Amino acid sequence: MGAKVKTIERKGSSLQERLYLIEIFKGMGRTFSHLWRNLLDNRKLYVRHYPEVQPEIPVRWRGRHRLTTHEDQSVKCVACYMCQTNCPANCIMIEAGERLDDKAEKMPVKFNIDLLECIYCGYCVEACPVDAIRMDTGIYSVTGNNRESFVLGLEELLATPGAFSDEEYKKGGA
Amino acid sequence: MSMLDYLMIAIRVAFSAFVPLCFVAVCVWMERRGAGYFQDRSGPNRAGIFGFRAAGLVQNLADGLKLAFKEDVISDHIKHKFFFVIAPIIVFFTAVVSFAVVPFADTLVLGGKSYIMQGIPIDLGILWFLALAGFSVYGIILAGWSSSNKYGILGSLRSAAQVISYEIPMGLAIVSLLVVYGTVNLNEMAQFQGKLLFGFIPMWGAILQPLGMVIFIIAAFAECNRTPFDLAEGESEIVAGFHVEYSAMKFAVFFMGEYVAMFASSAIIVTLFFGGYQIPFLATDTLIKFAKPVAFLLMVVLPIVMYFFTGWIKRSNVSHYPRENDPRVFEANIYIKCFWGLTVILELVLIAILLSASGGAAANIFVALLQICTLLLKVTMMIFVFIWVRWTLPRFRYDQLQKLGWQMLLPLALLNIFITSAVVVALS
Repeated sequence: MGAKVKTIERKGSSLQERLYLIEIFKGMGRTFSHLWRNLLDNRKLYVRHYPEVQPEIPVRWRGRHRLTTHEDQSVKCVACYMCQTNCPANCIMIEAGERLDDKAEKMPVKFNIDLLECIYCGYCVEACPVDAIRMDTGIYSVTGNNRESFVLGLEELLATPGAFSDEEYKKGGA
Repeated sequence: MSMLDYLMIAIRVAFSAFVPLCFVAVCVWMERRGAGYFQDRSGPNRAGIFGFRAAGLVQNLADGLKLAFKEDVISDHIKHKFFFVIAPIIVFFTAVVSFAVVPFADTLVLGGKSYIMQGIPIDLGILWFLALAGFSVYGIILAGWSSSNKYGILGSLRSAAQVISYEIPMGLAIVSLLVVYGTVNLNEMAQFQGKLLFGFIPMWGAILQPLGMVIFIIAAFAECNRTPFDLAEGESEIVAGFHVEYSAMKFAVFFMGEYVAMFASSAIIVTLFFGGYQIPFLATDTLIKFAKPVAFLLMVVLPIVMYFFTGWIKRSNVSHYPRENDPRVFEANIYIKCFWGLTVILELVLIAILLSASGGAAANIFVALLQICTLLLKVTMMIFVFIWVRWTLPRFRYDQLQKLGWQMLLPLALLNIFITSAVVVALS
């Protein structure tokens, strides 16, 4: 019973409010003050001049995916299918192959992500046991001319660098 | 009929036919940029020709081109193709023609002959406007019905009910005005408003009939299907209402019809209540007598206004991010040069008037031009009010709309007639 109950006064029943016009003029005054302020100085508009001024992307932002590598540029992914199994949108298609460099038993021969299916939920990153897939590229706009160009292959995923340093990424709590 | 007669007819018809059309571009621009600025965003300002954006006016051109080249779809389920096609034409045509009776200057006397400065020189005046405003709803009803679409028919039903219920308070507000002015002729009404009340207040309809003005403006908003009365196209519940099946130029004609109707009813509101073409305290006779002092005053005021205006352009038309050799500064400098060039031309015209023989045709033409500018300025301000209200008020619910029309505006309009008649009888 200790909850505080706040009674909100119901508005709209006094004569001044029921006359409509006075309240309408008040509202028009409010909107006009915005127009006038912006007309006098259009730097006060709450807009980002987008294509020229890019938004600042925080570390925890889930951008386009990439695959990480070991120091010797070999792929970290062990083709365990955890991300593919966990993906709610079924956008990851992995084909595993034998790995010969003694880092693990398997490695992906094909690793395709269909970005048109992807919902950027980040579950693949959460599911990965070896930190092989990350969404830290900072790429938020993906464009293409046809459907096929939205399916990313292994090379493209490996080629994209991360936008942040490892320390920053770890601090970000991923 | 002399050459001058034909020329005057051509000028009048051209003015009343093309000015509303030109104002469509201005209205759309004011609406979109205004909406942006009301909501603290910038509105369409990117479209440009060779980098010249003209503050976003070029966007209209882009929109027009896009609509002209789009596929004009008439679905197979539409049985009555004739009515489907003629509906937007009715809306547009009635809107344009209803402006034809608005006088844009006082009767012009040239070479001993007087010319009534309105598109169609008839005495019907306000009755013509009422008739055509009522007729434009046929276009909306036909559009909704011939679309064979439930959203379309719902939108047109709403629109029909709305226009019928707001035509009554509008007509009654006009009745009380007619009692005051004693005429239906809009030119005579405007001349009446040139007089002064108690010798120092301009005798505008807004001062003689404040209640009538409020009722008429509310009803005019409803007639134009503008917010807060735009339930006919309430996109949240009935998609787009009566024009849901229309595409390409047929949609554009509806769209232009809406803005022309807004222009026409702004002009009617200005003529009825805000003195029409009259400049406050300067009736036509006084203006002709003092044409030279007025021209001199304009010569002085014009550069001062232009100085502040160009300063504003210079401050506003810059990029808001670091940029080398900002092209927008270059653009602004060209605009400023254009405006100063315009000022020089206007100054030369004013000098010509100052040097002309007094009492001649030059003074009469100058006064007519001044009155045209006054009317257009007032109409632009009224259009701004339309836009301002649109971006301030939310849409009415349907029952609220009918309640406002029948239970509040109708009794108020009747009350206004009684009070006005009593005062007029008591004073005469």
